[in-house]
Amino acid sequence: MPLIVRDHSWTQNQNTVYISVPLKGAKTTNVHVICTDEYLKVSFPPFLFEVFLFEPINEEKSEARIGDGVAVFTLQKRRDEHWEQLFTNIDKEKQKQVRERAILKVQEKEAEKSKAKASRIQQEKKYALETMMKLENEERDRIQKIKDEECARASAEMDFWRETQRKTAEEKENRQRLQGSGGKRDNKPVHQKTERVNVTPAITPLHNNSNTTSGQRSIKPKPKDLPVPRSAGCIKISFTPRVFPTALRESRVPEEEEWLKKQAEARRAVDTDLAELEDLSEEERNPDWLKEKGDKLFMAGNFQAAVNAYNLGIKLNRKIPALFSNRAACHLKLRNLHKAIEDSSQALELLTPAVAANAAARLKAHVRRGTAFCELQLYVEGLLDYQAALEIDPRNEALRTDTDEIREIIQGNTSPSNS
Amino acid sequence: MSAALEKPQIIAHIQKSLNYTVFESRWIPCSAKFVCMGNFARGTGVMQIYEIQHGELKLVKEIEKPKPIKCGTFGASSLQHRHLATGDFDGNLNVWNLEAPECPVYSVKAHKEIINGVDGVGGLGIGDGAPEILTGSRDGTVKVWDSRQKDTPVVNMEPMEGEGKRDCWTVAFGHAFNDQDRCVCAGYDNGDIKLFDLRNMSLRWETNIKNGVCSVEFDRKDINMNKLVATSLEGKFHVFDMRTQHPSKGFASVTEKAHKSTVWQVRHLPQNRDIFMTAGGAGNLHLWKYEYPAQRTKKDSDEVDMGVAGSVNLLQNVTLSTQPISSLDWSPDKQGLCVASSFDQSVRVLIVTKLNTV
Repeated sequence: MPLIVRDHSWTQNQNTVYISVPLKGAKTTNVHVICTDEYLKVSFPPFLFEVFLFEPINEEKSEARIGDGVAVFTLQKRRDEHWEQLFTNIDKEKQKQVRERAILKVQEKEAEKSKAKASRIQQEKKYALETMMKLENEERDRIQKIKDEECARASAEMDFWRETQRKTAEEKENRQRLQGSGGKRDNKPVHQKTERVNVTPAITPLHNNSNTTSGQRSIKPKPKDLPVPRSAGCIKISFTPRVFPTALRESRVPEEEEWLKKQAEARRAVDTDLAELEDLSEEERNPDWLKEKGDKLFMAGNFQAAVNAYNLGIKLNRKIPALFSNRAACHLKLRNLHKAIEDSSQALELLTPAVAANAAARLKAHVRRGTAFCELQLYVEGLLDYQAALEIDPRNEALRTDTDEIREIIQGNTSPSNS
Repeated sequence: MSAALEKPQIIAHIQKSLNYTVFESRWIPCSAKFVCMGNFARGTGVMQIYEIQHGELKLVKEIEKPKPIKCGTFGASSLQHRHLATGDFDGNLNVWNLEAPECPVYSVKAHKEIINGVDGVGGLGIGDGAPEILTGSRDGTVKVWDSRQKDTPVVNMEPMEGEGKRDCWTVAFGHAFNDQDRCVCAGYDNGDIKLFDLRNMSLRWETNIKNGVCSVEFDRKDINMNKLVATSLEGKFHVFDMRTQHPSKGFASVTEKAHKSTVWQVRHLPQNRDIFMTAGGAGNLHLWKYEYPAQRTKKDSDEVDMGVAGSVNLLQNVTLSTQPISSLDWSPDKQGLCVASSFDQSVRVLIVTKLNTV
């Protein structure tokens, strides 16, 4: 609760009221004043002085002077009349209202002031920007002017040069016309105006004419002594070979490199920690040899043995797609359709990324898997595989007919023919 | 600011919009005229001759031909005649007299497919030796023609039997400093650059820069080979120092990446062989200067001479259009004047200033 100050003093004359409030040692900066037309509050914690004025005053014209331990308020009366007393006696309700009104008014004033300040700052910024722009424009104009001058100078030079060219050409023509009346001029059409003067050994106006008396001899231009045409030759060339026959702009170098790396890794990867390895001969430890053996057995019709060979190869090296793909073919022959699907899927996985180099292998794997699906009557999956194969090799007629057949089967839902 | 203004400026002096696709533009030597070659939308070829008059281009002549024209050169004709040798989309090589263009002076079905690049040497009072025309085509062959010999090329550089062919995109003559010596450089779409020696009829050097070669040019045709610039796809160009050939490492080179897109063309300034301009696929032009190294040769580990490449500095660049600038040609008569044509069907005459103080 603040302490109410009561030892203020006030005087008045016809149009002003003077109120002096002792500040009781408070610092000037701590004094806070709210003044409206009907209410004055001075607060300097812990003290408080407020007065509900007898008559309204003119707040804008009033002033406050705070200093020397006392605050002096000079309030301009609205109406020039004598005040009986400083305070009005109003009840608490009214007092509260007046206080609230006062606070509102002060807030409004603050808001207005800040708005005015903001707009002033805005104006100044705009002005600064405009001056900057003007300066830059001037700079640009100056540069442009210099450039234009250069341009004009250059074109003037060029016109001048052209004129001189034309003049010299005309002079030369005139000279010739004067001299070579009987002589046959080299067929230089008239409007070829510009010629270099010091060229044309072929035209011999002055010299010949002075020698001939008749002037009727036609002056043939002397052909320049040109060397004979070169004897024919042929140079055979070859072009830079590339690992893949495409120019850099068409190549898919990153994928191709990836595929090469994978192949190289597959060659090197050998799972050597198998107990049975000691029983194997040197040949049988080589996955490539095993693949070849498997191929031979497949050709001979011994599918089970081929599967065994491929199994061993895969045990040694899980990364060779050919082994999986060929084993899938064996399973297909043996009607182990699920195994065939698994193996060809495995092969396709190993054959990523899809590049031109492994297209043939991928084609085979797709066809095998597609066949297996169709045998299992999973025609939709089969069709997907056949379509993928067709994408790799669109020219394969057999493939195309098979794909069409499968499509018919799916659409027609007829009894499946043996695909 | 003054330092910036001492750099050469590239000023677009005149720009003209055309109603056909223009593939190449070439100055007519000793004149203020140039020829634009291309094809109309109706599929026929066109050559238009423009003259610069009072800051504008005036059409002097228009010649229409049955097949679209891809490239042309004045390099092999004499200065009086100034015949234009053109290659068209059908593989025909024709040499035209622009005064009487109804019938070509020399015509031959040079290749089976489009002629991508043509170059001429021995004419225009530059260099010695027989005037010859060089054509490179999509069928992978490069042929040299002499207008005095009908129907058969003087030299034919073709792939060996059974070898797959690669498109030849650009050709250039060089090393023509006396009657007998000539060199031909060809760039292919797989990045091969091959240098043929016509005196010995053999392949002198080849290399591969990994990206298709869009344009090759020697800095001068009529001197002992000094420098060769080869530009390629993907914004790179290589400058080879051709004075010293190492038996295994070939020629030394410096590579620069610029333009962020295909570098379509490189042209050396006729008046200064160390300044060249490259044209890029984003419609921009870069002006470069080559600085020679302190020592142009050095010895490698086996005491064999090998070349040392210098460095390339960018002098100026400018963006003229949004479409690639496909062809550039410096005027041999006025230093700094050049004509550039681009795929936005327009041709521009540019002036490059301060080249004499660079």
